[in-house]
Amino acid sequence: MTAAWHGRGLRVDLSSAHGVDETLDPAIAHAYLGGRGLAAHLLLERGLWRVDPLSTANPLVFATGPLTGTGAPAAGRYSVSARSPLTGTVFDGNSGGAFGVVFKRLGYDYLWVDGALADPGYLLVGRGGAVDVREAGDLWGLDVPTTLARLRERHPLSEAAVIGPAGESGVLFASIVNNRGRSVGRGGLGAVMGAKRLKAVVVAGDGDLRPSPADEERFAFVVYEATKLLKANPVTSQALPEFGTAVLVNVLNQAGAFPTRNFRESQFEHAEAISGETLRRDHTRKRSACRGCSIGCARRTTSGGVSGEGPEYETIWALGADCGVGDLAAVLEASYACNRLGLDTITTGSTIACAMELGERGLLRGGPRFGDRAALAPLVAAIAAREGLGAELALGSRALAERHGAPELAMQVKGLELPAYDPRGMKGQGLAFATSNRGGCHLRANMLNPEVLGIPKMIDRFATLGKAGLLINLQNLSAVLDSLSLCKFTAFAMKEDYYARLLSAVTGVTVEPQELLRVGERIWNAERLFNLAAGFGRDDDTLPPRLLREPVPAGPSKGQVVDLAPMLDEYYLSRGWDDQGRPSARKLRALGLDRAAAGIVPLDGEATREAVAS
Amino acid sequence: MSDSAVLEQFQRVGSDLFLAGLISSHGGNMSVRMGDRILITRRGSMLAHIEARDVVDIGLDENDSAVALASTEIGVHRAIYQGTSALAIVHTHPPYTIAQSLHADEIVPIDSEGSYLLHKVPVVACELTAGSAEVAALLPTWLKEYDIVMLRGHGPFAIGHLLEEAYQITSVLEMSSRILTVEQGLAGEAREYRKGSDRYETW
Repeated sequence: MTAAWHGRGLRVDLSSAHGVDETLDPAIAHAYLGGRGLAAHLLLERGLWRVDPLSTANPLVFATGPLTGTGAPAAGRYSVSARSPLTGTVFDGNSGGAFGVVFKRLGYDYLWVDGALADPGYLLVGRGGAVDVREAGDLWGLDVPTTLARLRERHPLSEAAVIGPAGESGVLFASIVNNRGRSVGRGGLGAVMGAKRLKAVVVAGDGDLRPSPADEERFAFVVYEATKLLKANPVTSQALPEFGTAVLVNVLNQAGAFPTRNFRESQFEHAEAISGETLRRDHTRKRSACRGCSIGCARRTTSGGVSGEGPEYETIWALGADCGVGDLAAVLEASYACNRLGLDTITTGSTIACAMELGERGLLRGGPRFGDRAALAPLVAAIAAREGLGAELALGSRALAERHGAPELAMQVKGLELPAYDPRGMKGQGLAFATSNRGGCHLRANMLNPEVLGIPKMIDRFATLGKAGLLINLQNLSAVLDSLSLCKFTAFAMKEDYYARLLSAVTGVTVEPQELLRVGERIWNAERLFNLAAGFGRDDDTLPPRLLREPVPAGPSKGQVVDLAPMLDEYYLSRGWDDQGRPSARKLRALGLDRAAAGIVPLDGEATREAVAS
Repeated sequence: MSDSAVLEQFQRVGSDLFLAGLISSHGGNMSVRMGDRILITRRGSMLAHIEARDVVDIGLDENDSAVALASTEIGVHRAIYQGTSALAIVHTHPPYTIAQSLHADEIVPIDSEGSYLLHKVPVVACELTAGSAEVAALLPTWLKEYDIVMLRGHGPFAIGHLLEEAYQITSVLEMSSRILTVEQGLAGEAREYRKGSDRYETW
């Protein structure tokens, strides 16, 4: 193997506290890169689409990418994958900080965690695949910062990925957190970890297998050129460093794409009060960055004498505008609580917003109301503890709204709550949400760039047809970045040719940009196959009824709804899928997925017969 | 000045810049100062086809969220406004001027109009020429003395009290550079016709 990959994974069975090395086939490494892509391949190949996500049979896959720790810009990330307890889809989340870099230096490309512990414990992984399961009775119940601090005391040079009380109690959107506030969020992989009674994964800090690019000189030059772009682009050199992602509050609000009060409106009258400018002026104390990142979008803030990490744009939106709360201090208090307890902030806020609308409609007796800032922090605590109303909210908005007879009030796709972009004001984003392989998510492909920021070029955000091709390219590129384990923020300034050059210099094998996008397409289709096998189909590639039928009442997007069906048809056609969203045999063959697809795509389709025959 | 008047001005100058060959389809940027605000073209906008969404309103002394949309050169524009009396800036990529900048540390026009309006234009070199802090630190000093300064290999930054003024000297510089380039290709020594022009190099 090259410097990009060590060529091996470590498979640990918690039940026996035993680890074995697995060989990573170089062809698989090149075909799926690492991180999200490699994990999707492994989960598909091992047929895990039917496992109960909270059972011992659902593995957790921690993986780095070929650029992790190489010195490529913002390449310090790692991913965690499993079948999601919130969505039932294949799921990955990734996080920055230093965990990925430290893990990779131990000489492994991935860590596969099977089984469960009888009692709370944590997994310590050392050099040469040394595996030790330590007792964690004293850590169980502790919040995230305290757990990280205790582990840092015990293992000073190590890095840890931990869960908080929310993961322990099985909240379906519990996060895994490293480096204080760097979270693997969204789909509840923290609950998967909690179901294994695994409080933390600790990777020893004495690994010495630093990746060294095959062509050092070429690599240094590409990094130099890439850094030039990142420094020249105002988004990566000014907007994100100065304001963090919160810079988007005013931008999206002015565009009329800032969902407000559970997506009833798309502009928030108190946006300025919760904006990036206000956050910087009143609360930001210090900027910070993940290891190896020149952008530095993270920040430490304080409010009411308490300090914490973030919040990100989506957090401010979810706990702010979506709940009708225009008080940044209240948003920060709830955000800090989410981080401490290990909760995904988007789903937390969106589920509270759903409860607020249910309450206002009289469908949830005693439920909170929009604008009730005092309700936020107590509800966050109740969710993590699964107490009172929190026990209902802990299952996410879909379960909550169904239980109270109004499923249409859950702003989710495939069970995952939508983030802070109203697709009625950016139609391509609607298609992105509907077709995302992990549910309503902006990180599978964010049409924010072409529809609002003009990257690479500004397109008509209200147009519907003609966007599928652009979206597919962004989805494929997103899969590549998650698999290289690079931060997506680099894509504000860089294009696929830069990523191809970085990978080429590290591996010593020239990779063309179109080859890289083909890898992304393979990953996307592998995930699609997993989801098809898990029972998902065209009916799941949709949006909440509100976005399809309720026009935006006022503002720049007034009167708009999402006309999804024609966009979806165009998308399937452009993907090489049939009208039910199943990849054709030809497409599967071209991507080398025909064997993996056998038995997954229904047998009455021509595509499947061909695939099986081949 | 009303928003519509500013927009009209941007549209007229932007269209002219492209038609005159001073910028490529998506190249260049321009701005005007309005008190403590700057109106600047959006990053990646087509100056020949400016719409309302292509003019970004951003703070002069303090950054705000509009920086996510503003031209890549916002830092340079801001530094120029902070360090000079300029009220308008035009930045272009004129081909003859760029070619001349690769061969000299200053461009000294030999034509009458260029001599009269510009005398000479300094050429400034930087390692990072696009949207860089180095350029932002360097240019205001030069633009205190000159209305237009050429960034080697990249393009000139021109200032004025009106957008049209900055456009005019950009246009003059390119015409002068074109004449210089043509003249340099002709055989024989050019006849001197400007009294005192030998002193322009120390202008």
